[in-house]
Amino acid sequence: MPSNVLDLNPNSHIEPAIECENLETRPVASLKRPILQGINCTIHRGEFVALLGLNGAGKSTLLRTLIGLVPLQQGVLRINGVVANPRLSGRATAMRRDVGMLFQGGGLIRQLSAIDNVLCGRLGAFPTWQTLWGFPKQDRRLAFDLLANFGLKDQAYQKTGQLSGGQQQRVAIARALIQSPQILLADEPITGLDIRAARQVMDILSKLHQERGMTIVVVLHDIAIAAAYAERAIILDQGRVVYDGNSHNLQEQFSRLTEAVPVN
Amino acid sequence: MKPLSNLWSRYRWVNSLFVLGIVILVYGWALQGLKLDLQLLKDSWPYVLDFVSRLWPPNLEIIDVAIQRLIETIQMSLWGTTIGAILSLPIAIFSARNLAPWWLQWFANFLQNAVRSVPSIVLGLLFVAATGLGAPAGTLALSIYTVGYLAKFYQEAIESVDTRSIESLQVSGASWLQIAQYGILPQVLPLGLGYTLYMFEYNIRAASVLGVVGAGGIGFELVNYIRGFEYNKATTMMLVLLVVVTIIDALSSKLRHRLEAM
Repeated sequence: MPSNVLDLNPNSHIEPAIECENLETRPVASLKRPILQGINCTIHRGEFVALLGLNGAGKSTLLRTLIGLVPLQQGVLRINGVVANPRLSGRATAMRRDVGMLFQGGGLIRQLSAIDNVLCGRLGAFPTWQTLWGFPKQDRRLAFDLLANFGLKDQAYQKTGQLSGGQQQRVAIARALIQSPQILLADEPITGLDIRAARQVMDILSKLHQERGMTIVVVLHDIAIAAAYAERAIILDQGRVVYDGNSHNLQEQFSRLTEAVPVN
Repeated sequence: MKPLSNLWSRYRWVNSLFVLGIVILVYGWALQGLKLDLQLLKDSWPYVLDFVSRLWPPNLEIIDVAIQRLIETIQMSLWGTTIGAILSLPIAIFSARNLAPWWLQWFANFLQNAVRSVPSIVLGLLFVAATGLGAPAGTLALSIYTVGYLAKFYQEAIESVDTRSIESLQVSGASWLQIAQYGILPQVLPLGLGYTLYMFEYNIRAASVLGVVGAGGIGFELVNYIRGFEYNKATTMMLVLLVVVTIIDALSSKLRHRLEAM
């Protein structure tokens, strides 16, 4: 473990939500190394963690690995104590329901309405034939209520392509929440949003963390926002964890990182 | 090699001149293959003008025949495009890089290329030999001809689908078919419909050509009038075709514009 990765986690007595043991992805030709090189970290239930790092550090890849979109070359990943093995499709589905993901830019289908996008978060809960003709009434009600909670009652039947960036991100959060996940992973949820929309999104995540005890891992570029919302920060550099601790002295940590990178 | 690459990056105009030289060589090579006789071209100009002058004025006595044949052409195009679109969809899915395994992609792309390399007139002759003269032969020829283009257009539409939106469905545990229904189809449909409309419009002109080999439509009458030196009647046919193509082009452009905005 690097010297600035301290095990002063006050939550270490709480059950772990995400456990990463020596995670490594396949080597990438352009980098001549794996994107993730031996990631070790444990995120406990109910933590709000900011994942930071320079571009290309492996932040998004780590999140995508946690959700099963990027295969592991080696290492062990556990979600709520269950080893994440993509070959065990039944268990993988159950595990996936515990984890919600917010993609950069929302990852919405812009031709579908907001409510239909939210309902897509429930697709895994139904067999294929059942969703051929739509979704049950109670699910539609649930999706509508989620959108109403996020102030999007009037936009529920609008195509998401017609919504603003902030509204789209709120629809994406509603979609992630419809399966009642215990863990929420957010990949740069405020990138491209104005200050007000960014604050709205971060406030929603903060509320989910405080009121529902949700474990939240969010990739951010803004140190100030990370310090304001997250209790803990993990900084990656070239696929490795270089800092894992509280989020209050991030400026100093980043100064060390940027000093190490030559400026042309 | 390093001094050469340094020279290359320092004097970019050399690079541009080199590219221009290659382009000129390629076009020169193509031109010499045409065996163009400029004198012959110059001498043939009066004959061209003479031919064009015989086309005017149009003979409006056959306007009812022209309209009847035009309706047949539109009907051929409508069904030919629809059948072609239905056949194109599975081929496009099997050709798409983001959906199909490599071996299926290879096979489906090969099928597309094979269909695309057969000229529409040859298809027309094939179906005329199989089903006899008339519109059915033309419709079948058009449907196969359409596959060669629509399959490629649909494939490109499928491949341009936003990967993050598909991943978000994968992450929610959606099956392959659910991803196709809720992720791919909504994104592909506007573009696909636009391409299909464009193909319908294109096929009206293609159907006119098929008439030359007896596969129905306005082309059959058109070529007969030209062979019989009844140029005024041929003009009537072409004018009727022009009016319809213009109207359909305008309507289809508007509709495609609305679909693209979706």
